[in-house]
Amino acid sequence: MDPGKVKLLQNQPYDESVEVSDAEEVVSTNPTPRMSKPQSGIEEEEDGGVEYPRDGSVPQASGMMYEDEEEDEETNEEEESEEEQDNGGIQQTLTGGYDPNEYENLQVSPEIRELFKHISRYTPQNINLDCRLIPFVPEYIPAIGDIDAFIKVTRPDGAGDRLGLTVLDEPSTKQSDPHVLDLQLRTHAKQSLEKPAPVHNIKNPEAESKTLDSWIENIKELHRQKPATNVHYTRNMPDIETLMQEWPSDFVESLKEVGLPNAELDCNLEEFVDIMCGLLDIPVRGNRIHSLHVLFSLFMEFKNSQHFTNYIPPT
Amino acid sequence: MNLSRLKAETSGSKLTDAKGKEKAKDVLPTLEGLLSIRDYTGAITLLKFQKSTGTADIGTGLWLAYAAFHNGDYETARKEYENMTKVESCHPDVWSNLGCCYFMLGMYDEAKSAAEKGPRSRLQNRLLFHLAEKSGDHDTLMTHHQNLQNVLEDQLSLAAMNYLRTHYHAAIDIYKKLSQDNRDMLALNVYSAMCYHKLDYYDVSQEMLATYVQMHPDSIMATNLKACNNYRLYSGKAAEAELKQLMDQLSSNYVFGQEIIKHNLVIFRSGDGALQVLPGLIGIIPEAKLNLAIYHLKHSNVDEGYALLKDMAPTIPLEYILKAVALTLVGQEHNSSEHLKLAQQYFQLVGSSVSECDTIPGRQCMISYLFLREEYENAMVYLNSIKGFFFNEDTFNFNFGQAKAMLGQYAEAQEAFLQIASETLKNNYLYISWLARCYIMNRKPEKAWELYMKMETTAESFNLLQLIANDCYRMGQFLHAAQAFDLLERLDPCPEYWDGKKGACIGVLQLVIAGQEPQHSLTEIVQLLQRTQQPQAELILKAISKWVRDTRMLSPQR
Repeated sequence: MDPGKVKLLQNQPYDESVEVSDAEEVVSTNPTPRMSKPQSGIEEEEDGGVEYPRDGSVPQASGMMYEDEEEDEETNEEEESEEEQDNGGIQQTLTGGYDPNEYENLQVSPEIRELFKHISRYTPQNINLDCRLIPFVPEYIPAIGDIDAFIKVTRPDGAGDRLGLTVLDEPSTKQSDPHVLDLQLRTHAKQSLEKPAPVHNIKNPEAESKTLDSWIENIKELHRQKPATNVHYTRNMPDIETLMQEWPSDFVESLKEVGLPNAELDCNLEEFVDIMCGLLDIPVRGNRIHSLHVLFSLFMEFKNSQHFTNYIPPT
Repeated sequence: MNLSRLKAETSGSKLTDAKGKEKAKDVLPTLEGLLSIRDYTGAITLLKFQKSTGTADIGTGLWLAYAAFHNGDYETARKEYENMTKVESCHPDVWSNLGCCYFMLGMYDEAKSAAEKGPRSRLQNRLLFHLAEKSGDHDTLMTHHQNLQNVLEDQLSLAAMNYLRTHYHAAIDIYKKLSQDNRDMLALNVYSAMCYHKLDYYDVSQEMLATYVQMHPDSIMATNLKACNNYRLYSGKAAEAELKQLMDQLSSNYVFGQEIIKHNLVIFRSGDGALQVLPGLIGIIPEAKLNLAIYHLKHSNVDEGYALLKDMAPTIPLEYILKAVALTLVGQEHNSSEHLKLAQQYFQLVGSSVSECDTIPGRQCMISYLFLREEYENAMVYLNSIKGFFFNEDTFNFNFGQAKAMLGQYAEAQEAFLQIASETLKNNYLYISWLARCYIMNRKPEKAWELYMKMETTAESFNLLQLIANDCYRMGQFLHAAQAFDLLERLDPCPEYWDGKKGACIGVLQLVIAGQEPQHSLTEIVQLLQRTQQPQAELILKAISKWVRDTRMLSPQR
């Protein structure tokens, strides 16, 4: 008989036999993958007291078999060795285990053949690995808060508010700064106040630069609103515009030569004020403070004037 | 045309605005004006100023409490109302208002007794209705439920109750019905959006929210909800950006809703700062405790996580899941089958429930349940059903890989294991040992050997060596088996390892003779054998050299 044909015939039943769910059936037709013998008792790993599952029911490879059967198999195999080899090979590429029968027909000296027996003499352990569920930890849950249950205080005047209906019952994001508002209210208050304004402080200005900036901005704004202090002159004063008129040219000429008097002038303060006011055409009658106020107002006007800031006096 | 003119006006409005500002500043804010723009801080300042100047009247205290309450400062409101109740001529409505303050402060007993001192009113009924829910008093709850009338506030209160009791669809029905009759009540859309969020319909929630956010871009609650939807739909980054934008607009003294924002920033930053922020929010934000537990479980602080959940009686699926996860981890860590059994129960309960059986968390529960019962084939059915959502999720791949390997499908198992990115998992011995087995089963023993070489010398690396030695032997990969047994023998000179090494070395010889292993592998095993002082080793060495001599003699002849 042609050995090739024999192989073909033998192949088919083996292929089918794999499908059989009964493990024993599969085992009996599948020659001796001894390495997948379940070594249920052998468990050398003792790390941290983890107990490995020891039941042999877990189908790690389809070629499981039991020790007592093995002996019979080996005798059978010897008879059918020629044909079994290739079939066994097909099975083993599926399960992947080592099959000594594959090497039965190697042309070796009896000495080496004797050595080969050592391969099967050692039975490798089937180490059961711990199979541990890594639980699916849920994702973090964001909070969206509770829905308005209309458990809320009513307006003292009994009027209905629309809070929670047309608009969510939450404060607007733009809240007045209580300290600024308080100062504002004080500024505008007609009557005198019992208590002085509380002094606000920012505990950690470096961390709260935003707070600090808005505070400065608010206070600036507040001061801008404050009306400028009015001085009611007891006498009529010339208005600033008139005082800003140019001096006569000969006066300017002589000023160039003698210069304006400075603080070294040998006179007292009152006299000095009188002199300066005289030069600037500011009348000094009775209250010098008023005259000085006019003088400084005039100075301010020059200082803030666009024209004179850019003016470079001829030297 | 109209549009552009409008635009011109707004762009040129800087000047007029400045003028307008000055004008407005001339006129001091009024209480009504401040309340209408919900500037409660302003209102409180004004009222306090009036008090200090003696222009206050009896109403001032009531207004002050009203403004404080709506500003979220329930403590100040409570104090105001408490003071009022001490006066003989106190208005009877004050009692219900005081009850509301207690309620918001979580002082439910005080709330109840305050509410009962006041006259019957719809507010009082609503308050007692919700108090009954808090105390779990079903009969009282039903009584007050029946007293609710068909008016806006009562219906909305009922809807809020439905929301609290996770009856989101019932709540949505109420909001829909009320919205139809009151088209201007945009807040109701936000409430519906909140329900949809809870139902995991994040895109619907987003749609419901759109109009309100457009009208009130600075709303804390609406923006937060939008951010939460973004978190679920896209990423924590998108969510954080949403909140950040709002935070920049906030006045520095803004306090309302700050806890929820602080809480959610931790969530959006995937737990960053959880340990600093969340403990302080437990009892204020209901989610804080669960999230803190999640943080611990995610970071393998099993006992801390379990401690938070131990006494919690789960009511919603998420709580069941969390508890089951904690029980699993504790059971695994302390080898307690009792915990694992309870975990199985919870997992099965959620996984087989009508509401969750078709959700991803529900499927995960079934996987966990079957996995714990070691029913890997059944677990695989569920694993496959959600694989598409988790192709690059480490936890999923780890479980998938293990189940596949248990079923002997090592190629797919290896593929799953190799997709895992987490360094923590990759350094886990469980991972290393499974991957090593997959490599060997898939005929790549050298990769398994590499895994061993990368490990530090520990009890675990010794175990891995045993695994490699024996699995390679089983698979006929004798060279690596021989190397592994040789190392084992050197670490622990026990006869078993010599037997393994001997068999493996002869196995290599067999493979070389069969032409399945290159001849130079013999050099390797000769070195290995020379290390062992055994007469058998001598014998084998002799046989090998004889065979080598013989083949060399033979080969030129051929």
